[in-house]
Amino acid sequence: MRTAFRCLTTAGPLLALLPSLALAAGIEVSDARIRLLPGDTPGAGYFRLHNGTEEPVRLTGARSNAYLHIMLHESMQKDGMASMHAVPSLEIAPGAGVELKPGGYHLMMMQRQAPLSIGDEVPVTLEFDGRDALPVMFKVVSPAAM
Amino acid sequence: MVLRAYLIPALVALVLAGCGGEDWRTTDISERMPALDFDLMNEDGQAVTWDDYAGKPTLMFFGYTHCPDVCPTTLAQLMLSIRKLDPALRDDLQVLFISVDPKRDTPEILKTYTDAFGPQFIGLTGTKAQIDAVTNRYRVTYTLGDPDANGNYDVTHSSAVFAFRGDGKPAFLAIQSDPPSAITGDINTLVRESQGG
Repeated sequence: MRTAFRCLTTAGPLLALLPSLALAAGIEVSDARIRLLPGDTPGAGYFRLHNGTEEPVRLTGARSNAYLHIMLHESMQKDGMASMHAVPSLEIAPGAGVELKPGGYHLMMMQRQAPLSIGDEVPVTLEFDGRDALPVMFKVVSPAAM
Repeated sequence: MVLRAYLIPALVALVLAGCGGEDWRTTDISERMPALDFDLMNEDGQAVTWDDYAGKPTLMFFGYTHCPDVCPTTLAQLMLSIRKLDPALRDDLQVLFISVDPKRDTPEILKTYTDAFGPQFIGLTGTKAQIDAVTNRYRVTYTLGDPDANGNYDVTHSSAVFAFRGDGKPAFLAIQSDPPSAITGDINTLVRESQGG
């Protein structure tokens, strides 16, 4: 907690400059981005989450006014085949982190409710089991961004 | 052992032919896969065959547009490899993205999708029978999952990228575990070779 507090004190003035960094109760989210795909095709949301609390946290999903449905998914590669399946929740141990990234865990963001452009920022609320939801600004990036 | 017994005569044949063959850093499929051939539908909804695309080195990938993670990641990796090519050679390559999900991937949707990656990316799809003919030819499979409450369904598909020479002859196969530098290097070799050097 002390580390998180010190981090907040020193980084506080910088936070306004870092819209993709969210800090709440020791949960840090960084590099939050939505890889935009054209038309009505679903996009993927990626971010890094660090659990700086002393308790395990369980990420259960996300919501946003910008998309009708958001699901936590995982891509798998096995025997040259790619597949994707829904993940009910992700538990992150105290002091540990998880990275949602291309080819692994991601938010599948379906049925965009309004046009978005690369460079836009979209508020997305991450939901947790038994603790407050965490609003995070996601940056809209190109379909070719990694 | 079977593979070795098979490879030695193939290598001897290559040396005797004087063409040397390429030392692909990904998987060589020149003796293991048939030449490119298909009957599909293009982004304008018209029937096309390989003959309509012949002449350019070609990368082929099976996927679907409602695939937010793996498909764009693969296409993005190919796009990054293409950007590393000599600018004069970039348009000498084409990437055929074959959708195995024709129910959702109409020609218009495919066009919008592939245009987001660049002019080299071309979407193709077809009837189930047409798609199955291509996937069977390259010994890959795909399955469409059951729709969820929102009507969304997942598609399990081959994640490999097949590479062919301009005359449709098979060259190499890149899989997800191949290092990006190996894939970029092989694409570069394929395109340069088609230039005659």
